[in-house]
Amino acid sequence: MFRNKPASPFVFNVKSRMRVAGMVILLAPLCIFIRLFYMQTFLYEEFSSKAERAIYNYLAEDRLRGKILDVNGRELAESVRTHSCGVNKRYVKDKNKTVAFLSETLGIPKKRILEKWNHSSNFFFVAKKIKPDKYIKISQILRTNLGQGLELTPEYERIHPYGESALDLIGASNSKNYGLSGIEQMYNRELSQDISKKRAKRARRGEIIYDRKLKEELSVANVYLTIDAVAQYYAESSLKKEVEKIGAKHGIAVVQDPKTGKILAAASYPVKDGQSLAFQFTYEPGSTFKSIAISSALDAGVVHMTDSIDMSGRVWEVARGVVVRDNQHDKEFLSIPEILQLSSNIGAGKIALELGAKNLFYYLKAFGFGTKTDINFNGESKGNVQPYTKWTKVDTATKGYGYGVAVTPIQLINAYSAIANGGILMQPHIVDRIEYAGGKVETKSKPVKIRRVLKKETTDMMKKALQSVVEVGSGRRAQIKGYNVAGKTGTAEKLSKEGGYAKRQHIVSFCGFAPVSDPQFTVLVVLDDPEKYSFGSSAAAPVFKEIMERLLAMKGVAPDQLDFE
Amino acid sequence: MKIFWGLIILAVFLFGVAVMRNEINRSGRSISQLQNEVEIKEARNQYLQLEISRLSSPGNMIRLAEEKLGMVPAKPHEIVILEEE
Repeated sequence: MFRNKPASPFVFNVKSRMRVAGMVILLAPLCIFIRLFYMQTFLYEEFSSKAERAIYNYLAEDRLRGKILDVNGRELAESVRTHSCGVNKRYVKDKNKTVAFLSETLGIPKKRILEKWNHSSNFFFVAKKIKPDKYIKISQILRTNLGQGLELTPEYERIHPYGESALDLIGASNSKNYGLSGIEQMYNRELSQDISKKRAKRARRGEIIYDRKLKEELSVANVYLTIDAVAQYYAESSLKKEVEKIGAKHGIAVVQDPKTGKILAAASYPVKDGQSLAFQFTYEPGSTFKSIAISSALDAGVVHMTDSIDMSGRVWEVARGVVVRDNQHDKEFLSIPEILQLSSNIGAGKIALELGAKNLFYYLKAFGFGTKTDINFNGESKGNVQPYTKWTKVDTATKGYGYGVAVTPIQLINAYSAIANGGILMQPHIVDRIEYAGGKVETKSKPVKIRRVLKKETTDMMKKALQSVVEVGSGRRAQIKGYNVAGKTGTAEKLSKEGGYAKRQHIVSFCGFAPVSDPQFTVLVVLDDPEKYSFGSSAAAPVFKEIMERLLAMKGVAPDQLDFE
Repeated sequence: MKIFWGLIILAVFLFGVAVMRNEINRSGRSISQLQNEVEIKEARNQYLQLEISRLSSPGNMIRLAEEKLGMVPAKPHEIVILEEE
């Protein structure tokens, strides 16, 4: 008889075999399930970001930026799409041919490309911000064998089609298209937008898919300046010529529309982007300031046009040990127009004293000296006018002829514009309008009257007096055939580092307007520290004339002299 | 018979899918090529516009007028302004 062997725990019957096989079969899905669970739970972030990177691109590198244009829509700064050309070594089919092609197309020596090739592990940039013609050549071969491994990455470059023109106003933006200085910085929010967190769907090769919605979201504004590119060119070219001729350290030329306060040109030389000396430079104006002190005294009624000021001996002791001399004339008495024509320090000093410290201070403040003009240019200086309570008698007198007070070119030209327009201080503007993508236009340069500084009658008298300066006085080199021109020269000694004034360092200037009958332009020219001994009359007045002549011709302003032939 | 017809329908369906995939790929390549062409044209256009801006800048115009045509800036009093009636 057979006896059943006791069941060994190691001997499988069919049932247990099936069970084991089932378990083995289930083990694989179980492992997969556990792995999936682990990935979903613990590696979720890593994989979701990988997936996101595959589908979306952040736009930070593809940043758009609006244009900066002149008042007539001429482009002064615009962003163009350029590309960086890179090489992914792994995919290059023929190294020698690729290097030869890149060298020929990009104009880079083969040796330099090979150096980069040898020093990089896999990917390297051959050239950044390549020009469109080169981009076209490379993009045409991308799909051929020669183009394998080449990559073109889009980026934006800020271009200034007019070169250095108005660059001191426009300023600079960095490679990420952020405004760093000048208008670029002031209106960065309008010109650009924060798109670092904005993402867009990308296509297979990584390029961003710009659908209509995204394009609308990315739209930026264009900023129009009050600057006229032609007027700016005239100011810059005339200024540059004179600065180089007399070896001045700096030069500034500003053109303003006296009726609206709009700045039509603001040139600085040498040009530094985002550093406009028209708003940032402070200086003691010297004799151009006499017009301000004298018009204030006339307006207050403390002196009259018919008055004669005593010049006895052309020496005036203002206070003990402080003597003012007039060496440029030999008259014992001067009328007020003559004080301006001959640029008499004694006359202007005496008139300032007659007006008194308190009144002069309030007039200076009313003209806007010692405070920023609110033109909103970064780094604008407010100049310096000390409170009148701190003035001595000498301080009051010297302010009459433009010492002991620090002004900016924009403040001075704005004050002259007030004389030109009948006595109203206008708010100066540098930005005309902002045009948003949706068609909305925000006007920034509506004429704003800040306050009336002088009576109309005072300005009428001052215009005639300043006209006589150009006709028979120190400003004769500013005469323009056919036009009545009003203006004042200035030659001021610069403050010395050792204290006092430096006898050989000057700031020469001329400020004026034309035509006197209906002033269209106010122009200020300042030349800082010329190497050649110069005066406002010999150096600045001819520059004023050249700029004004061209402006009058540009605008087609009719002559206001009847018999000039 | 039913199986035969089922296989026929499946074959037609698969053929349709294959044709569609092929068409999608072809269209994809075509779109990509066109996008590339648009990019090239846009780059070219922008380049030409920049050239226009650069060449029509006041400085360039005045230089060319003076150097090539021998022109000089007119004085303002030499310009005759016609009044509108």
